[in-house]
Amino acid sequence: MSSWIHVAPLVLLVGGGLFIMLADVFAKERPELATVTSVALGVSGCVSLAALVSGVAPQTPAFLTSYLAVDKMALFFDVVICTGAALSTLLAGGYLREHGYERGEFYVLTLFSAFGAMVLARSVDLLSLFVGLETMSLGVYALVAFRRASARAVEGAMKYFLLGSFAAAILLFGSALLYAATGHTDYAGIAEGIAAGADPRLVLAGMLLVVVGLTFKVSAVPFHMWTPDAYEGAMTPATTFMSVAVKAAAFAVFLRVLVVAFGDPMSMSEASGWPPALAALAALSMVYGNFAAVSQQNIKRMLAYSSIAHAGYVLVGVVAVFRVGDEAISAVLFYLLAYTVSNALALGSLILMGSKGREAVSYDDLRGVGRRHPMAALPFVIGVLSLMGFPPTAGFFGKYYVFNAAVHSGGGMVWLALLGVLSSAVGAYYYLRVIVVMFMKEPEKGQVLAVPMRSGYVVTALSIAGLAVMELGLMPGWFLDLAVQAAQQLVA
Amino acid sequence: MLSVYLPVFLLLAVAALVAILMFTLTSVLGPKKPTPEKLLPYESGSNTTGASHLRLSVKFYLTAILFVVFDIEAVFLYPWGSMFRELGWFGFVEMLGFLTILAVTLVYAWKKGALEWET
Repeated sequence: MSSWIHVAPLVLLVGGGLFIMLADVFAKERPELATVTSVALGVSGCVSLAALVSGVAPQTPAFLTSYLAVDKMALFFDVVICTGAALSTLLAGGYLREHGYERGEFYVLTLFSAFGAMVLARSVDLLSLFVGLETMSLGVYALVAFRRASARAVEGAMKYFLLGSFAAAILLFGSALLYAATGHTDYAGIAEGIAAGADPRLVLAGMLLVVVGLTFKVSAVPFHMWTPDAYEGAMTPATTFMSVAVKAAAFAVFLRVLVVAFGDPMSMSEASGWPPALAALAALSMVYGNFAAVSQQNIKRMLAYSSIAHAGYVLVGVVAVFRVGDEAISAVLFYLLAYTVSNALALGSLILMGSKGREAVSYDDLRGVGRRHPMAALPFVIGVLSLMGFPPTAGFFGKYYVFNAAVHSGGGMVWLALLGVLSSAVGAYYYLRVIVVMFMKEPEKGQVLAVPMRSGYVVTALSIAGLAVMELGLMPGWFLDLAVQAAQQLVA
Repeated sequence: MLSVYLPVFLLLAVAALVAILMFTLTSVLGPKKPTPEKLLPYESGSNTTGASHLRLSVKFYLTAILFVVFDIEAVFLYPWGSMFRELGWFGFVEMLGFLTILAVTLVYAWKKGALEWET
């Protein structure tokens, strides 16, 4: 039994997805699909967490392990992705019903997309990487276009789809070059090929193309163009899913590719490898994301630019891998977990503060919400403080570990960490501005007020996310320990 | 190794050159005397009537998508069938899982009305 526990979460999600499809078309009354979906995701997350904590040794057959990793990092990312997807589903349970978009497809797409994300996070071969990436992305494209009568949704989905296809093509081209250079598609084989003296020009070109394809998915500058439109056009629960689960999976595969395939001295050198390129992307993302977020009038767009900035922070940790291996990896893992719950909390309370026809999306909608409906505003405050990196929330330790890893790397990385701290100070401005608007501004006369909705689903999601944010902020040790174990296993 | 392909590249280059040359020469040397008849999309066809921006029903896309899905299924079945004995029970179970997933999809598409032409 224990031999299959490492792939049980994947099987569970596929089974759950098929069940929901059938339930959707055969049920006489409107079924509670949000409950079923979030339970399926929650159970898979718990199975992974149990396997991670108990440290049960995998005995999975070789036909699987040559494509999918069965290590602690895979399990850690299962937990992150399932948490993000389950929270999005719970939020959708309230949002879709309130705004009249209740359709079973949303849950099916989310489940299969989460499955793709989990495959992506455990891929150890360029082939399974691509299959996972496409399974995840196709679901998300459809999720963005879910409100198909809305021009904004279709525009966002179209941009995301076209640019995403190009990014996938670039990634494939890079994979082809790597295969041409080394004769392998699995990461370990690529590393062997590089060590055996593959043509460094081909390897470099292939590596850069693969990195570009992946940076697109994490929405780092300059491959971020689709992010604000797609995040704004998508319904808020779908935005939540995209910003947490998709991003986490993309970073997981980033770590695996860089550590396993390009961990050789040549590829990791500061002169001719990935560290300088990724460091530049990290710096650009942090600075651009934070400054662009300042001038936004729409909260979802502001959070989209802030997610670009957060991709920059995580990239700082990814770059630090070339010097302080497992410390940097564990920092990235912890950051992604913290970001998942914080962002779900912020976007979730944005959902809670609106109701049918009166969705809260702009700063003006939020004027005085904190005084009129303090309980609806509270989760937003906690989420935003965590995104800002304010102690004692999850975001504080996420940032702390990442920048700490950068400082320990020494050299130019110290400057990168400094830039990160400075740009998060810019971030504090626009995060605090929302809080100021909510508590210290009064709505203008004649303005249509956003009225909070009532939904057990949304309240449940916010309670879970809020507790997780505080738990990770007050007692980060337990999850950090799991992240460290996962990181050490990957590096070893 | 690339030298094997040299004739191919040469042919490509010559073909591109000839095409570019032809088009350039006709546009530079050719006489241009446009008349309303010559500017029509189909010079000797019937005249167009009405607006060209018609809205067409695109219900073919569902059929096309379903065709692709089940075409892939057939493509998968052929190599599996030819390797059936070598793959044994393992291959049988794998293929059973694949077909189950597709069967569920078909039931779903059917119940959703994707197979109805007149809706």
